Amino acid sequence: MRIRIAPLLPLLLLAVPLTGSAHHSFAPYEPDRQIAFSGVVTDFQWTNPHIYIEIDVAEGGGEVRHWLIECANTTILNRVGWKWNMIKPGDEIAVIVSPLRNGEPAALLKRVRLADGTEFGNGGPAGPATIGFDGQPLATESR
Amino acid sequence: MARVIRRPMQRGAIFALAVGVALSLTAPVQGQDQDDGHGITGSWERWPGQSGGLGSSANPPPVNPAAGRIPDPPLKPAYLEPWRAEQSEIQRLTAEGLPPANNYSACIGDGMPAMMQAMFPMEILETEGQVTIIQEAYNQVRRIYFDGELPAPEDAEPRFAGHSLGRWEGDTLVVETVGIKDYVLFRNVPHSPQMRIVERIRLVADDVLENEVTITDPEYLTGPWTWTWAYRRWPGYRIQEYVCENNRYFRDPEQGYQRLRVE
Repeated sequence: MRIRIAPLLPLLLLAVPLTGSAHHSFAPYEPDRQIAFSGVVTDFQWTNPHIYIEIDVAEGGGEVRHWLIECANTTILNRVGWKWNMIKPGDEIAVIVSPLRNGEPAALLKRVRLADGTEFGNGGPAGPATIGFDGQPLATESR
Repeated sequence: MARVIRRPMQRGAIFALAVGVALSLTAPVQGQDQDDGHGITGSWERWPGQSGGLGSSANPPPVNPAAGRIPDPPLKPAYLEPWRAEQSEIQRLTAEGLPPANNYSACIGDGMPAMMQAMFPMEILETEGQVTIIQEAYNQVRRIYFDGELPAPEDAEPRFAGHSLGRWEGDTLVVETVGIKDYVLFRNVPHSPQMRIVERIRLVADDVLENEVTITDPEYLTGPWTWTWAYRRWPGYRIQEYVCENNRYFRDPEQGYQRLRVE
């Protein structure tokens, strides 16, 4: 799915109801910074107004950080091929995300790679991944 | 495309219904005189699309370059500057990552007229004496009746979708709406109980519907505020369920911006 954002920017800035997922502003997330990491799913909430993945991510020194990953909603993601039961607790997944600006352990999903290697974007409004799962910048955006 | 036609129940109606059901199993329902409707029943998405034009991409229908271009509201001077200042403040805070909380932050849907911007696909059902519009986001429903009268503005129970009266003028569905709750705002524009929304909805191509929206409000506006939204037919799309059951957003009690409950 491709949405040309640039010509719409003035409109988006003016109209709160049209921004982001069209319900909620994604402005609290870092606009220009993406990070990639892997973790073990502890919960997959197939709900509205948004879908959430909770994962435990191993950090250095045996520490585990629990992340809340915000996705688009059920209707958008059904339309781009997600399925309500495609992620389960215990799955190891990789994500590319934009973290919250305030440092809390939550992030907006850009792209996810499931345990079986399948990859999904997060629908148009969440924007494309600009890095790969290896954390390196991409030559072309990945949705 | 299946259509639902409601008829008054009369003597013998059940027998007629049984015969009708039997016939409908063997005969196509298209092409039946007055029951053909006006071709608006079905699923539609905003066009150019917010949903990504997933309906069908082989032959994209014409785009009205004016569609979706919404001018600033013609607010009276006493209201225009405060509105502009608020818009600037929203932009500034949003750019800082602190977007002000709004109705969506509390899982409250658009109401009118914003629900007609078709954030997500919508279904239009034309039945006898009524047009029903279902917007996927927040399971929003509005019912446009063709009989009776609109309530007087001061007497209209405030609602999200208001009270709507429809009529056909040739191929154009004209809908008048009153009775919108005072905190159901489109683009943060204030309105009074005197606000009236008039929509002129018509097919401009086989698969393109246009909705010319005009808002008047003698208390807040100097004149009509008009724009056009366009929609593209999405054959076979089934509107999905949307219940706002897991709202992690909340309004920061001190700062008023939208926050996310992380734990």
